[in-house]
Parts: sequence; structure tokens; C-alpha cells
Amino acid sequence: MRNKSVVHEGNEIRLAIDLIHLGARLQVLETETGLSRERLLKLYKEVKGESPSKGMLPFSADWFLSWQPNVHSSLFVDIYHYLIAHTELRGVHAMIKSYRLYLEHVHANSLEPILTLTRAWTLVRFLGSLLQTVPCTRCGGNFITHRQDLNRNYVCGLCRPPSRAGKSKKRMPEATHTAAPAA
Amino acid sequence: MNMSDMLGEIKELNLTYLMFAQHMIREDKSAAVYRLGISQQLADILTDLTAGQVLKMAGANVLLCRMRFDDRLILGLLTSHGKEGAMPQSHAAILLAGQPVEELA
Repeated sequence: MRNKSVVHEGNEIRLAIDLIHLGARLQVLETETGLSRERLLKLYKEVKGESPSKGMLPFSADWFLSWQPNVHSSLFVDIYHYLIAHTELRGVHAMIKSYRLYLEHVHANSLEPILTLTRAWTLVRFLGSLLQTVPCTRCGGNFITHRQDLNRNYVCGLCRPPSRAGKSKKRMPEATHTAAPAA
Repeated sequence: MNMSDMLGEIKELNLTYLMFAQHMIREDKSAAVYRLGISQQLADILTDLTAGQVLKMAGANVLLCRMRFDDRLILGLLTSHGKEGAMPQSHAAILLAGQPVEELA
């Protein structure tokens, strides 16, 4: 461990900075880089200007199954699988690139980025153990489901939205946007 | 539109497409592979094209880029002004990510 190369360490620091900018929690940094906790803490404060939030990571696999999170998470995972299948990106680098492309989609369509980087990272770790993707029998898109569920005739939440779907405060950000310049 | 105008427009669009594709691939290959919907092998060939080759290819009388939504469902989603905000766009993006890439035979 002592004779780690400087270049290698430089790459790890760059990776950590990328992850911090995207909103990663400290636990993600500790797992994905070989840097010590002290160095990561220092780095975090330097990049963000504040201490990282403490406490446990969001660990619920059920979050990915409720309607809106499922759409966002499924899109992220589909991009991730696309990159794994068609490029040389692997592991955390594939995760970061997919997350960036997901954020692009969200911004391009003025949606809210409800999938955080830490959640996206958790999702990748859950794939294959707790969660999996299953093709919808109507549209053919791949969506996240529980591994234990019976998914024989699976229909996704977009082909069959629940009655309350999309009726939350989704219009709110637009309203505040239009109100702001007038004020 | 007369014939030579049309051929001129096609050439211009082909040229823009090829040059923009090359630019995207050089900037960030993996992101370009996703955005263009092409295989990595095809991406490599595109970047290796010289300016002369690009110019020659662009001068065809057919367009070199193809519609990616050759699926009624995706087309419908992309053009819908649906009741559920921007969700049709996300649905279309999910379907596009699951489509096979354009690759060399």
C-alpha cells in the first residue's frame, strides 16, 4: 500500500472530486476510492465548502419501485446498461457517465433530478441481488423491479400509470420560474 | 425546390452531421456512442475519416443519418404533448436506450 504511485493517487483524487461535485456522500467516496477517510473529509470540505452530511445512506430498495422514482431510476439503469454493452466504460466510471447523461435528460426536459448520485450508486449495487430490470410487455422498455417479484406479465408504470401519477407538485417549479421574473 | 438546391441541402446536412459526429466522438467517445446510437467500432471509423473522405461521403445524393425512432411508440411519445408533463420524453428515452445500436455489418 505504501508504494502507491503518484499518478494513481492523482486519478483517485480526481475521481473523488468528480463524485463530490455530483453530490456523492462520504460512504460512496470511501468505497470507490482508496483514499483515507481523513483525506476524503478534507477534500470534501475543500470542494464543497462544508462538511459532508452524516448518517446512514438511503438503503431502501423499495424507493426505486414507487412510480416517479422508478421512471427516473429505470432511465438511469438503461443508460448504464447501454454504456456497459457498447463502450469500454466499467464500474464507477460507467456509473458516473450514466448519471451525467441522466442529469442531461432531466435538465433538457425541465424535470427535477429526483435520483441523487448516492441513490444511483446504491441502485447499481442492488442490481442482480435485490433488483433487476424486466422488459415491459406493452412497450418493451426495461424497468426496475424486485428480483423476488413474479414479473411474467409485467407492465411498466408508464404504460399503466397509477391514478394519482403526475398529480403531485410537479407543476410547481414551472410556476415559480414564471413568477420570478415578474416580481 | 429544384434539384441542385436539394442536392446542396443534402450535402450540407451530411457534412454537418459527419463533422458534428466526429467532434462529439473526439470530445467524449462513450457519451457520443450513447447520443448517436452507434457502435464503438463505427465511432472509431468515423473519427478516423479524413476531411477529404468526409467531403466525399457528404456529396452523396442521399442522407447519411437515419431516423432513430422507427418505432411508432417512440415517435408517438416524442411528439405527444401529454397530460403527464415531460414523462413521455422519459419513456421515449428509456425505449431508445434499449434499442440496438447502428453497427457495421
